[in-house]
Amino acid sequence: PHSGVVKRRSKSQSYRRSIRTCFGVASGLGLTPALTARRMNTSRKAPRSQNITEKVKPEHLELLVKTEWQLSYVTPLYQFRHTQLKSYSRQLSAFIAAEKQEGLAVEVGGLQNTFKVSFSVLQGLAETSDDPETVLIQVQSKPMFARQEDPPKTVWCGWLSCINGNPEYLQSLPKDFTCLPLFCSKGAEDLSSLVKSWLQRTFDCCFGPLDINQTTLQWLAALWTNCHMETNIQNLKMIWTLPVLPPLQVTYTVDSDDVLDLWRSTRESSAEKSREAEDEVCIDFSEVTRFMQGLMSHFYRHFRVDLSAGELNQVSSALGSAKVNGKIKISSSRYLISIFSLLTECALLKMPI
Amino acid sequence: MATQLNLSDSDSSDLSDQSVFTRRSNRSLRIAEQERRKKEEEDPFVLALKYFSEVEAGTPATGNDELENNLVRVEKVAFSRGLSPEAISVMLDFAMSLRMGSSPCARVLKCLLPASVVPQEAVVRAIVWLTVRKLPISTQVLFMKWVLTVFDMIDAKDKLRAIYGFIFSFVTDENLCPFICHLLYLLTRKENVRVFRVRKLLEQQSKLGRQPYLLYLLSLYKVFCPELVTLSIPSRMKSGFKNHISPWKSALIAVQKRNDMQVASSISLAFAVRDKTASRKRKHAHLDLPSLNPVTIKEPQAAQSSSRKLVPMQQIQSFAQLLQNMHRIELPAQMGSLLGSSLALQYLDCVQDESALLRLNFWLGYTLHEEFLFCSDGGANKNPEEALQFLNRLLSVQHFLQEGFNSSDAFMYKFLNVWDGSLLRPQILGLLSNIPVIPSSQIKTLLFDPLMQLFFTSSLFFKCGLIECLNHMLLKWLTWHSAYALEDDLDISLNSHTSINITLSGFKDSVMELVHFVGRLASVGLQLEDCHSLLLSFILDFYETVCDTFLKFGLPLVVMPPPGVFYPAFFAADPVSVDRLAFIMHRYKVNLTSAKRQEKVTEGFHISRQTFREFNRYQVFLVNCLWNSNMCYPEADVRLSDELLAKSGVPQFSTRFDLIHHPAFVSYALDFHHKCWPGRKDTDLNSIKQSKPWNWYLEYLFTQGFDGLKDFVQNSINQRVMMAGDGCDNVTQSQKLGSAPHIKQPLLS
Repeated sequence: PHSGVVKRRSKSQSYRRSIRTCFGVASGLGLTPALTARRMNTSRKAPRSQNITEKVKPEHLELLVKTEWQLSYVTPLYQFRHTQLKSYSRQLSAFIAAEKQEGLAVEVGGLQNTFKVSFSVLQGLAETSDDPETVLIQVQSKPMFARQEDPPKTVWCGWLSCINGNPEYLQSLPKDFTCLPLFCSKGAEDLSSLVKSWLQRTFDCCFGPLDINQTTLQWLAALWTNCHMETNIQNLKMIWTLPVLPPLQVTYTVDSDDVLDLWRSTRESSAEKSREAEDEVCIDFSEVTRFMQGLMSHFYRHFRVDLSAGELNQVSSALGSAKVNGKIKISSSRYLISIFSLLTECALLKMPI
Repeated sequence: MATQLNLSDSDSSDLSDQSVFTRRSNRSLRIAEQERRKKEEEDPFVLALKYFSEVEAGTPATGNDELENNLVRVEKVAFSRGLSPEAISVMLDFAMSLRMGSSPCARVLKCLLPASVVPQEAVVRAIVWLTVRKLPISTQVLFMKWVLTVFDMIDAKDKLRAIYGFIFSFVTDENLCPFICHLLYLLTRKENVRVFRVRKLLEQQSKLGRQPYLLYLLSLYKVFCPELVTLSIPSRMKSGFKNHISPWKSALIAVQKRNDMQVASSISLAFAVRDKTASRKRKHAHLDLPSLNPVTIKEPQAAQSSSRKLVPMQQIQSFAQLLQNMHRIELPAQMGSLLGSSLALQYLDCVQDESALLRLNFWLGYTLHEEFLFCSDGGANKNPEEALQFLNRLLSVQHFLQEGFNSSDAFMYKFLNVWDGSLLRPQILGLLSNIPVIPSSQIKTLLFDPLMQLFFTSSLFFKCGLIECLNHMLLKWLTWHSAYALEDDLDISLNSHTSINITLSGFKDSVMELVHFVGRLASVGLQLEDCHSLLLSFILDFYETVCDTFLKFGLPLVVMPPPGVFYPAFFAADPVSVDRLAFIMHRYKVNLTSAKRQEKVTEGFHISRQTFREFNRYQVFLVNCLWNSNMCYPEADVRLSDELLAKSGVPQFSTRFDLIHHPAFVSYALDFHHKCWPGRKDTDLNSIKQSKPWNWYLEYLFTQGFDGLKDFVQNSINQRVMMAGDGCDNVTQSQKLGSAPHIKQPLLS
């Protein structure tokens, strides 16, 4: 059925298809997504410091850390080939040139003196065998009044990735599809939308904004706190907004040792029962909730302000910062993988089917 | 023909057309030869043509009376009847070869009005002359305009296409370029699009600037070979090529009208430029359908052989073309674009590629989620008009395909939980009714729980709407079932070993769940809304579907309405509801009777005894009330003691719901009474119960349009044994089936 050959489908087949797509036995993805609503994992492994420099090239790592990325989710790409990146670079260069100068046709593969796009594989970020390799897209441009010998400057950068993606979901996709659900970008907004619209047209995918919701922010706060056992996170900073008039913004900064104490005490009560478990330390969401409650009740005791009535907007530590509007910055490459696993999960939750 | 697709298939037809033409022209030439010999002297037009074909090169034009006379003769014919193909050929050759210099050229060109067709060879020859002789620029342009005007009338295009490269070489000519581009646009096929041509056009673009004609031609190139060129057409430039046909237009139409020919459609360019105005308004345009674009990046191995023959969907302009190219249509780059045109929808119905459908579902699911669930830019609340249009389109697509998309179903299951019951209600209910069968294990969480909440917390109109929607849903499920069971010749008692993944019993369970669910909604809804007759009417609609499941849809399942629906319908004050209830009971009876017959024949076919019992109970109640003036509840689930009823103070309470005293019919009884005994002063309705007036009364009721009642009475009540006397007291034992003479064929078994 993948050949695209057209036959008149009889209604009985159509009936069967309807039934099948409803109960999802024949096609893998049909597993009636709605019937089995995907939910966020309630338990995840504690992040462990990884020496990622062995896997990922240092120049790539340098690109990834210390920049603030705007997050989006992407539906699976159709007919994407990691082997054709050169051709994509040519296409996208021409596309940007044509869109920038509306009404002027542009030869694909011709010499572009304004924007030069390069697609490349960012090796080493994929964790499991189901994860497709991360794809890095860079747009370079020469400033208008640059001298001849000046190197072109990177004006836009973005990458598509899937780190520790849900294997069930990934395996259920037909092989024409490549699932790289997390899209991070930085650079001018108009270039972002041009790149997105090209990807949309070329791989029949859709882009939507990926916000980092309350639950994810709480997870990040707990995960980063947990890292303090190995790496100094200096302090944990949270920003809340409270729905009062005038709006009240609360910046709540806790010293790293204190917050770790609190975290340990929340962990201890539940840790006993899983103490005998293997060396993999797992964190349950109930612990995260209790941890947050601890932080909030502490605040209430001192300031008589109940933070649970408000909204957590931002979490940051020495390891990075995350904002509710989908902006994230990672400052240390050591915990990169676990943070992006979490974000990949969030992106996969946004998939329409 | 200009708008028709340039496909290799059309070659053969072109060729055959042409051979027919040449044959015909050969013959007509032969005849003309003979006739010319005869009429040579008398026909001045033939003489004139002969003059133009034979005039020697270099003959002076100025002051040449002979030329003037002959030209006037040709013009006269041209503007009245149009010129024959041969005449066109002769005159065009004369003009373009500059045999008498360039001065008569423009005049000749202006009178080249074809009566029927333009021979292709003449055009090709003229184009060749274009390079050989030095025509004034204005004449060159005039010639090109003429070609574009009569393009649709050129008898074949294969030879013109063969000199595509030759014609292309004129694009470097600044004056001719706009017209050449237009002509090329009409002639271009996939194999004509080459890198060097793209480069030439781009070179021209850098020389001449942003010219629409270059852009349009390049945009066609892009359609065929998106891997070579890319461009974006500004919205102000979307009118297409300018219409160059003005000098001949009116004259040509006049000639064609006179010749009673079908007026050739003016050269209209099917030039699809994306309408950007709508998307400009919004920042995130989720709700815009993607435009039909061909795939940019082709699979390398497929590129060589097969893709050469593939036709981009964008190029398909008519249903005929769709049929012709059905086997080699290339799916567009974005599947969502197929929802945008009705033609593409026809094709979508035939698409079997799982991946293609999945792409469509991803896009659709994404759009619905972003707009209605994630609401990243305000969603449906902010732009209700667009959301409305989008959902209407989706509904019409689903209606056309006669099935839903699983992404929209998945969306519905989520959306029902957050829906307020009023946002875009008709559309949402429409989508809801398209939801396919849900297994009975999941139907509660997915459908019933959210709907129950919505139903009990919203207005009467929502309740009616929801019942109607569930009725449609049930109808669709049943129709699916009957279509499938019939087409595959599936024995309805067969189960689980078929290729479908839902067994017959699974399907029956789901249908039963749905019917019971609506029964619960209806019972409580009627109580909440004080048995509103509008709601009751929608509920009875639903049971009109339910009572016929066996006979109409072949599903071995009969579900009776709950008491909460049956009794309110029976006690309703409007006769329509009672009449419909009687009709429904009649259909139940017909269904159950034939199911019973089936049971004896087919192994494993079984209708629950409980259903028969429930039916009998209702039936006896109905007959006793309406007929025997006896309100008794056989094996009743609800029972009022006689003492309690007596306390109400209503005299003869047991007769209050017979056909005469039933509040729905009492006005008819009164009317009948007046008609029957016009002289009587005191009204005694009981006198209708005499056997003769009773029969008349029934006849009278039937003439008032109570067909349901009529069916019910004629099928369920033994007419021959009529009410004997008062009939009120002596039939108390009638609840025992069979002993009552008033009920035919008890079904209880």
